[in-house]
Amino acid sequence: MTLHPPRATSAMLPATSAAPAPWRRALAALPAACTPARQWPTGLVLLALLAVPGLRQLLEASMARHMLLQFPLFMLAGALLAGGLGAGGRRAVARWNGHGISGLVATGLVLSLLMVPRALDLALLSPAIELAKCAALVLTGVALRLSWQPAGWLVQGFFLGNLLPMMAVAGQLYIDSPVRVCNAYLLDDQVQLGQWLVRLAAALAFGWLALVAIALVRKENAAQDSVPIPPRAG
Amino acid sequence: MLRTALVSVLLALAAYASATWLTHDFQVWTAEGARRLEVALHPIDAPPVPVDGPGLALQPLAQWLAAPRTVTVVDFIYTRCETVCLSLGGIFQQMQASLRQDRAAALKAADASDAAIVRLLSISFDGAHDTPAVLQAYAAQMQADPALWHFARVPDNAQLQQLLRRFQVVVVPDGRGDFEHNAALLVVDARGRLVRVFDTTEQQLALDYARHLARTAPP
Repeated sequence: MTLHPPRATSAMLPATSAAPAPWRRALAALPAACTPARQWPTGLVLLALLAVPGLRQLLEASMARHMLLQFPLFMLAGALLAGGLGAGGRRAVARWNGHGISGLVATGLVLSLLMVPRALDLALLSPAIELAKCAALVLTGVALRLSWQPAGWLVQGFFLGNLLPMMAVAGQLYIDSPVRVCNAYLLDDQVQLGQWLVRLAAALAFGWLALVAIALVRKENAAQDSVPIPPRAG
Repeated sequence: MLRTALVSVLLALAAYASATWLTHDFQVWTAEGARRLEVALHPIDAPPVPVDGPGLALQPLAQWLAAPRTVTVVDFIYTRCETVCLSLGGIFQQMQASLRQDRAAALKAADASDAAIVRLLSISFDGAHDTPAVLQAYAAQMQADPALWHFARVPDNAQLQQLLRRFQVVVVPDGRGDFEHNAALLVVDARGRLVRVFDTTEQQLALDYARHLARTAPP
């Protein structure tokens, strides 16, 4: 991956300050800093933070934050933890995870189960269910990381083609429901969650399509470059 | 690839089992639905938390609810509420009108002494504000008949939480000084057990069910 050096981009803008902004430098240094050796401790720290009772209550106080912030953060922690898996471990997992299918099946199933409104209410009431929910989400993060690349476009497309419409439909149901589906949350909150679920599903679909399109264009360009241009006659 | 297929099938089976458990065999999707189904299948004993109210000396709720040939329809309210509790109040007013007719009919009949009784009880979950005096004023405002419609609160907060947990009443502050709660009509039988939870739209069903229970209850 090639990144423009921050100096070059800031030079193109009207010069307000000579030195590049600190956040730009931090951003440029990010890929180099995210070595696998640093990822799994970061995952552990994130997991520990998410387990802090105060923060957990803050995230779970709203239905939208619960599903759209806490869920992805647990998955991110899992994905970071998976960075600590060595080449041997990855090979061992891959034997049971051909084309990433097992991992994506697990992810789809866990996310479908957690979209049942009762699951949210139960997680708030029962510590055992809460623990199971968090563990499932972390494992989902691990599974996604280990399965996404091996899956390839076909399996990725199938996975997203099932998961995203389900998300959008669940979101629309939350928007349209005249009654509260969760006893612990307010109706406004439910509508907000529904709207965000629909937006997120659309954004993920467009994002993935864009990635596929970019990859296809690059492939075509590479193919054209490698073909020698025949000398023109005449 | 065979291993992947095996893992995927096992995962699907595990998810199916979890979903079956989570939705009570795909019958309910919400915690409220599960609550109503669970109560109908396994009645819940009212806890012995002390309650008081206008015309109601401090006594355990379970003891007050358990009365021969008497079925109680319970709702949970708070008097400052201006939304769903008012509609609950309206429902209880209509039920009270029907119950008055029942009572008049029973009085005309020869043997009124062991007539089945259906009564109403509104329990406030805002015990700190809704003292017996406040409840008395609220009852007057609702034109409650003291013989049919009773009001109570749980003075002690820990005991109140125990009652709400036992009956799975979830109260959420909405941030504007009000509470959102899973309003419903709870039918408690003559032994003081919560036997059925009806939606607020099923008021006639709840009343008929309570009358039926009271008639068929052993004296």
